[in-house]
Amino acid sequence: MMAVCNLLAFLGLLAALLVVWRQSRPGRLQLFVAQSALLAALAAAIALYSGHRELLVVAAAFAVVKVIVVPRVLRRVVVGAPVRPVAPGRSAGLKLLGAGVLVLVSYVVMLPVTAATSLPTAGAIPLAFAASLLGLFVCVSGRDAFTHILGFLVFENGIFGLALLGAYGLPILVEAGVFLDVLVIVLIMEGVVVQIRREHASIDVDRLRELRG
Amino acid sequence: MSTLVYGFAVLGSLVAAAVGIHGLAGGTWTLVAPGLLPLGGFAIAMDRLGGFFLTLVAAAAAPVSLYAIDYDRGARRGLLAYLAFLGAMALVPLAANAMTFLVAWELMSLASWLLVGREPGTSRPAWAYAVMTHAGFACVLAGMLLLGARAGSLAFADWRAVAPALDGTTRSVVFVLLALGFASKAGAIPLHVWLPLAHPAAPSHVSALMSGVMVKLGVYGLLRAGLEWLVPGPVWWAAAVLLAGVASALVGVLYTLVERDLKRLLAFSTIENVGIVLIGVGAGMVFRAEGLGALAALALVAALYHAANHAAFKALLFLGAGSVLHATGTRSLDACGGLVKRMPWTAAAFLLGSVAIAGLPPLNGFVSEWLTFQALLQNLRLPRPELNLLFAVALAGLALTVGLAAAAFVRAFGITFLALPRSEAAAGAHEAPPLMRAGMVATALGCVALALGVTWIVSGLAAVVEPLAGAAPPLAVQAWGTVDVGQGFAALSMPVVGVALALALAAPLVALRLAGARRDRRTYETWGCGRMLQTARMEYTAASFASPFKRVFDFFYRPDRRVDVRAHAESRFFVEATTYASPTRSIFDDWLYGPVGRAIGQATTVARTIQSGHPNLYLAYILAALVAMLVLG
Repeated sequence: MMAVCNLLAFLGLLAALLVVWRQSRPGRLQLFVAQSALLAALAAAIALYSGHRELLVVAAAFAVVKVIVVPRVLRRVVVGAPVRPVAPGRSAGLKLLGAGVLVLVSYVVMLPVTAATSLPTAGAIPLAFAASLLGLFVCVSGRDAFTHILGFLVFENGIFGLALLGAYGLPILVEAGVFLDVLVIVLIMEGVVVQIRREHASIDVDRLRELRG
Repeated sequence: MSTLVYGFAVLGSLVAAAVGIHGLAGGTWTLVAPGLLPLGGFAIAMDRLGGFFLTLVAAAAAPVSLYAIDYDRGARRGLLAYLAFLGAMALVPLAANAMTFLVAWELMSLASWLLVGREPGTSRPAWAYAVMTHAGFACVLAGMLLLGARAGSLAFADWRAVAPALDGTTRSVVFVLLALGFASKAGAIPLHVWLPLAHPAAPSHVSALMSGVMVKLGVYGLLRAGLEWLVPGPVWWAAAVLLAGVASALVGVLYTLVERDLKRLLAFSTIENVGIVLIGVGAGMVFRAEGLGALAALALVAALYHAANHAAFKALLFLGAGSVLHATGTRSLDACGGLVKRMPWTAAAFLLGSVAIAGLPPLNGFVSEWLTFQALLQNLRLPRPELNLLFAVALAGLALTVGLAAAAFVRAFGITFLALPRSEAAAGAHEAPPLMRAGMVATALGCVALALGVTWIVSGLAAVVEPLAGAAPPLAVQAWGTVDVGQGFAALSMPVVGVALALALAAPLVALRLAGARRDRRTYETWGCGRMLQTARMEYTAASFASPFKRVFDFFYRPDRRVDVRAHAESRFFVEATTYASPTRSIFDDWLYGPVGRAIGQATTVARTIQSGHPNLYLAYILAALVAMLVLG
C-alpha cells in the first residue's frame, strides 16, 4: 500500500517537474494527462486498499474530467498557436532550480504534518503538496495564457492528491463540486484565451501590460 | 410621494419623542432579538441618557420633517435615505451592545452621506464627508473591539462592570480611539473639516438635522465612553476633552465671523457650539476624576442643556437659511439683503434663532451658557493649581467665544435681512410656503420653551446626569422660577429676567409719555446719513463687517489682500473697476490635512510600483505569500 502510494505520488510529482521543463505545448498537455491518470489510479488504489468504495466513483469521475474532457478543451486552445513559444524562452535550468527549491520547501512545511498523521499514505503527502506548488510555479513562470491554465490545473491536481493522501478524499459532494468548478473554469478560460488571441493575435500575456491601471 | 414620506416622518418622530420622554422620566425597558445580528444580536435598552438623546433626535426631527414637506416637495431621490437617517439616529442612543451600536452608527453615516451627495455638484463634499466619517468609524470600531476583547463581552452593561479591572494603558488606548471617533462625528477641532463642506451641500432640512442632532450623537458617545464604560478615568482624558472644547469653540466662532456663505457660516457655528458642549463635558469629566461628583453633575447638566438648546436654535437657523435659499436661490450673504420686508416670518424666526445662539437673554442659549460659566467658575474648589489654570483658560475662551458669537450673528442677520437687496434674486424673494413657516415657528417655540421652562428642564437633566456623575448637581429650584446654583453661589430666574427686559424696553416709552412728548405721528423717510442717494452698492457688506476682525485675528486668518484696479484704456487716472478680495487661509488645511494628504499620495505612488502590469508577477506574489505563510506559520 505505502509503496504503491509513494510510487504513484512520486510519478505525479515527476510529471509536474516535466511540465516545468518542457517547452512544447502539446507535450505539456500530454504530461498533464499522464499526471491526471496517475492520480486517478492513486484514488482507485486507495479505494481498494482502504475499503472506501465511494472513492472508486471519485476516481472514475476524475478520470473522465481530467483525462478526457479537460484535455479536449485545452487542445482546442492550443490549435493555431505555434507548438513552441517563438520568443526566446527563459532557461529551463533556472526554472528547474526554482522547482527544486519548492520541493524542498514542501518537505520542510509538510514533515510535521506527516509526523502527526497515522495514515499509511502519510509519507506521500509532501510529494502531492510539492506537485501543487509546482502547479502554481508553472503559472508564475509561464508566459502565455495556456500555460497559466495548465499550471492552475496541475495545482488543482496536487490539491486533489493532497486530499486523497491526507484524508482518503473529501466528501463526495465536495469532490463533485470541485470537478464541476474545474470544468467551468476551464471553459471560461478557453473563452478568455480565444478572446485574447482575437485581440492580440497571440496568447502571450506580456501583451496584457496595457491593462495596467 | 415626498409628502407621504415626510408626513410619516413627522408622525414617527412624535411617537419617538413620546417614547424618549418616557425614558427621560425614568422608564426603562429592553428589547433583544438575538438572531437579527451576529456577535451578540440586536439589543436596545432605554435609560435616562438614551431617553434624553432620543427625545432630542425626535423633537428636532418632527418640525424639520414638517418643514421638508413644503421645502422638498416633489423630490424623488433621498426619501428612503432620509427615513433611514432618522431611524438610525433614533437607534444609536438606545443601542445596548457594540454590534447594534456600530450598525446603527454606520447606517446613520451612510444615510447622511447619501443625502449630502444628493444634489448635483456635491461629489467633493460627499467624498470629504465619507472619508472623515469612515475614519471616525474605524476608530470607534477599533476601540469597541479592543474593549470588547479585553472585557470578554460586547454588551455595554458588562463593560461598566469589567472596565475598572483593565490595565491603564488599554483603557487609555480605548478611550483615545473612541474619543477620536466620536469627536470626528461631533466636529471637534481639528476633525471638523467635513462640517463646512457637508452642511452646505446637503438639502437644508438635512443640514438642520445633521447639525442640530447628528453631531450631538458624537457627544453622546463621548459621554458613554468617558463617564460610563471606562470610568474612572485619569484626569488627562478630561483635560484633553476640555481643551478640545475650548479650541473648537474659539476656532468655530472665528470662522463663523468671516464666512460669507450662509449655510457654511451656520456649519462653523455648529463647531463653536459643539465646543461649548464639550467644555461642559470636559469640565464634568475633570470634576468627576477629581472626586467632585456634584460639580461634575452641574457641568454635565450645562452641557446637555446646551446640546438641547443648540439642537433647537441651529435647526431653526438652518430652516431659516433654507427658506432664504428657497426664495433667492443663493446662499451668499453678499447677494442677500433687504429680505426682512419680503420674508417677515423667516426674518422673525431667524432673528429669534440669532438672539438665542448669541447667548442673549431671555432666550435659551443664555441659560445654558450661564450654567456652563457657573460650572467653570466653581473650579476654585479644586485644590490643584494646574487644573485651575486650565479652567481659567476655558473661562476666558468661553467668554471670548460668546462675545464673538454675538457679533457673528449680528452680521449674519443684519447682512442677510436688513438694508436694501443687493441682487435681483434678493429683490424678488418671496415668503416661505405655510408648512415651512410652521416648521420654523415650531422650532422657535421650542427655543422659547427651553428658556422659560428652565426649572423643569434642570430638574429633569439632574436625574439624567446623576448616574454619570455619581452625585446630584447642586441645583435648587426656588420661588419665582429661580434656579439656585451651588447653595447660593449664583441664582437665575428666567421669568424675572424676561419681565425685567420687557420693562426696560417699555420704560423709555412710558417716560416719554410722562414727560409730555408729542403724541402725533410723523412719517418721514429713513435717515440716510445725509447722503442724497442711497444704493445697495453703498451698503455695509459681509466682507466689510468681517474686516476689523480679520485685522485683529490676523495671525489666525492669515488673510491675503488682493486689490485689482482696472484703469481706463485712455488714461490710468480714470478707474474703470476695482475689485477687492481678502480670502483667508485655513491653518488646518495648510498645516495638517495638506501634509497628511501629500504623505498618503506619496505612499500610494510608492505602493504602485508593485503594480507592474505583469500577470506573472501578480501570480508570483500569490505563490510567495503562500510559501511565506506556510513556512512562517
